[in-house]
Amino acid sequence: MNNDGTKKTDDTQEGQQNESSLVQKIQQLGQSTIPQASDSNIHVLSIIGQVEGHVQLPPQNKTTKYEHLLPQLIAVEQNPKIEGLIILLNTVGGDVEAGLALSEMLASLSKPTVSVVLGGGHSIGVPISVATTHSFIVPTATMTIHPIRLTGLVIGVPQTFEYMDKMQDRVINFVVNHSNIKEEKFKELMFAKGNLTRDIGTNIVGAQAVEYGLIDAVGGVKEAMEKLNSLIKENNDSNKQVIQ
Amino acid sequence: MLYTPLSEADIFPCSDKEFSNRQCISYQGKQLYVEQLDDGSYQILQLLSTDPQDFMDAAYTPGTILR
Repeated sequence: MNNDGTKKTDDTQEGQQNESSLVQKIQQLGQSTIPQASDSNIHVLSIIGQVEGHVQLPPQNKTTKYEHLLPQLIAVEQNPKIEGLIILLNTVGGDVEAGLALSEMLASLSKPTVSVVLGGGHSIGVPISVATTHSFIVPTATMTIHPIRLTGLVIGVPQTFEYMDKMQDRVINFVVNHSNIKEEKFKELMFAKGNLTRDIGTNIVGAQAVEYGLIDAVGGVKEAMEKLNSLIKENNDSNKQVIQ
Repeated sequence: MLYTPLSEADIFPCSDKEFSNRQCISYQGKQLYVEQLDDGSYQILQLLSTDPQDFMDAAYTPGTILR
């Protein structure tokens, strides 16, 4: 009798728990079940918000921590099931060295990579977007190209300026080496006056980025997936030839 | 009223507590970025994965409270 009683309470508790998890799912996604699919040979890496490097940003900022992404990139390179990587970018920029680290990692992957600039790919988002095998930009996305700067107090000694200048050269060299833009053109955009209020630099939109040779093509998800699949095919074909 | 170009966070640094609440954990083989709630349970802030299928799994939806 007693046992039955406890069992009944357990059942009700379990029922309540199931119900509450269902309610939670509906609250989060507006639906209770999601379709399941088989393993994907294409993996996705999203770089959203600020690129966070050496300094931890306050919790209210949306950030992409580069120390989280680096091991994932190694995992992508090492896993034979993964044949391609797609990078989704919507960033306002951030830490220069963290951004360059990510860019170099992407550029040195042996697997085909495609990037899509959505919304914005500003500042350090520029080298990250050009680091991939092929880059896309959606027509409404913008990219701000401007000189590197520090926030907060800068001690005005020549060494500080030289250090910043060298850092800027690293960014310029990377972008020039990994895209079709000419160094002179990139510098011209970077130091242009009158385009940004109270600031030097240029804000380029969608097709303009392609026109300058910074980004390879205008396109969204469909174009990016088509390109990545064709790159994967090429990559697989050349691997087969090596074996023969 | 503050009249400054600096961001609010530069003037009023947030407490360390806000940082220590958040951590990166491994849960069922997946890397998750979580926040500890007042009652001691963890709430998922972000799933750190490159596999798109992981994001289809409702168990790792941001906002889920881990038991």
